[in-house]
Amino acid sequence: MLMTIKQMRVKYGEQTALHINEPIAFEKGERIGVIGSNGAGKTTMVNALLGLIPYEGRVITQLTPEQMAVHMQQNEYVTTVPVKCIMETILNTKIKEDEKLKELIAFFDFEDCLKKRYNTLSGGQKQKFTIIMVMMQNAELTFYDEVTSGLDFETRQKLMEKLVEWYKDKDDTLVIISHYYEELEQMADKILILDQGNVVAYGKKEELFETYCGKAVFLLENTPENRRLSQGIRMLKSADHQLALSCRDEREEEELAAVLIKNNVDFKRSHSDIEMIFINAREQFYEKQGGMKA
Amino acid sequence: MKKKCTLKMVLYELRNLNGNLMPHFFGIIFPNLMCLLLPRAVASGLPADIQQKVTDSIMLSMAIVIPMSIMFLGYGAVYAQEVERGIPLRMRLFGFEEKSAIMAKVFAHLILLTIAFVIFAFFQMAVTKVSVPAVSSFLCLVISLYLIGVILLVISHALANLFKKFSIVFGVEMGIYFLMIILCGMMGIKTSALPNVMQKIAAAFPMTYIANEFADFWQGGTYQFMPFIQSFLFMGAIAGILLLFSLYKDKRTVK
Repeated sequence: MLMTIKQMRVKYGEQTALHINEPIAFEKGERIGVIGSNGAGKTTMVNALLGLIPYEGRVITQLTPEQMAVHMQQNEYVTTVPVKCIMETILNTKIKEDEKLKELIAFFDFEDCLKKRYNTLSGGQKQKFTIIMVMMQNAELTFYDEVTSGLDFETRQKLMEKLVEWYKDKDDTLVIISHYYEELEQMADKILILDQGNVVAYGKKEELFETYCGKAVFLLENTPENRRLSQGIRMLKSADHQLALSCRDEREEEELAAVLIKNNVDFKRSHSDIEMIFINAREQFYEKQGGMKA
Repeated sequence: MKKKCTLKMVLYELRNLNGNLMPHFFGIIFPNLMCLLLPRAVASGLPADIQQKVTDSIMLSMAIVIPMSIMFLGYGAVYAQEVERGIPLRMRLFGFEEKSAIMAKVFAHLILLTIAFVIFAFFQMAVTKVSVPAVSSFLCLVISLYLIGVILLVISHALANLFKKFSIVFGVEMGIYFLMIILCGMMGIKTSALPNVMQKIAAAFPMTYIANEFADFWQGGTYQFMPFIQSFLFMGAIAGILLLFSLYKDKRTVK
């Protein structure tokens, strides 16, 4: 066990920003995706785990704060020297003598940026700069807090592809915070859902999907005709423009697929859609709480 | 792994320091300029022996301005901006201990301070015709200035860590800077001419003794060092307490 969070409570003044009741454990080599709306407590949790803010409760770990690496939402550096100088100082190395660093710089196509100052880098280049140095830390546990926020769609896609490719076949433990479901689908094997400082759900992606959505989900356009066809089928909560139909087993799936194909309905089938897990876990969480919030 | 202060870090801090012109202006250009202009304005018309003493006294006051400007005001201005932008925090998250970071900054600033002193010394010898000091007086002055510099940098570092915002830190430090200049007798008013309460406060600053009394034994003689040493101990203790408190406030703990 790399880290276990027990009974954590973080307060900002009178307001509780994060409350973790049931223990949450991070195992070595796991990729944990953390998702939640703004103010859910995602960054608060990372800050508490890094020892940057005070909290009640316990974090059981052998790791010291220095053995954890983090890519924060905002990463700032001095602008008086080129980024190459910052990189070599922080990593206490020389690029030309460091094979791993050279590999990372080439992997992220960062060679042309080395002579630039940090304030002249683009948003994507700034993220790459910190990512390279975070990766060079070889930390036991690495946090990526909204690593693609503020980037345009294309840059975001490319950066995620690079991250996925780099970590493929590696056993680093990662905690990835993101607002983008597709990023977590690519990177995470466990999901932690936070909402308004509460833990809504935590577990393996597939297990959470089965718990909250069933074996498979069919997504189709929300039209009167499709609503008519869906009568009698368990419907999940989803975005207003679509219908989400849940199937409990293969037989149900086959029957539903046959109906949809017969009626020439476009649909998408999923057995791990994180957006569906998020929406339905949150719905059920608040139902259990007595419909306090949805 | 915790990262220690390395030569690379000191050189990085030195390059960073050279990217900001404030310490250079207030620590190098300003004192030399004042040493050139003030004796002409203040000492002209006075008897020759008094003129020499006034020139020496002005030089000593401006010598104190160098560490005050580079290590206190200049450092505070630069470091507070870094704190506000979260740069020291980012460095800590890369494993740099606060101790290593401050040591690198101290060494880098001591290098700049040395350069400023060398320029100042050459300028005094070449332009302002200061009396040649006794070796012991000269060494005493140099050691005192370095000590004052380090203490002031520690205070400045702690204030920036405590207040976090550049505007507040710069305002507070500017206030303290001018207060020290006035109290320590560097604004043309001798400390002995200030009200009693202000004299008592001034006695807590080592700069007061340099600006008011060092001219008397600049070319040799005896000097009662005890109050001067006590002022160092007092200011050093204040600096230490402030630094420890600021470190405690920013301590990282996973429990």
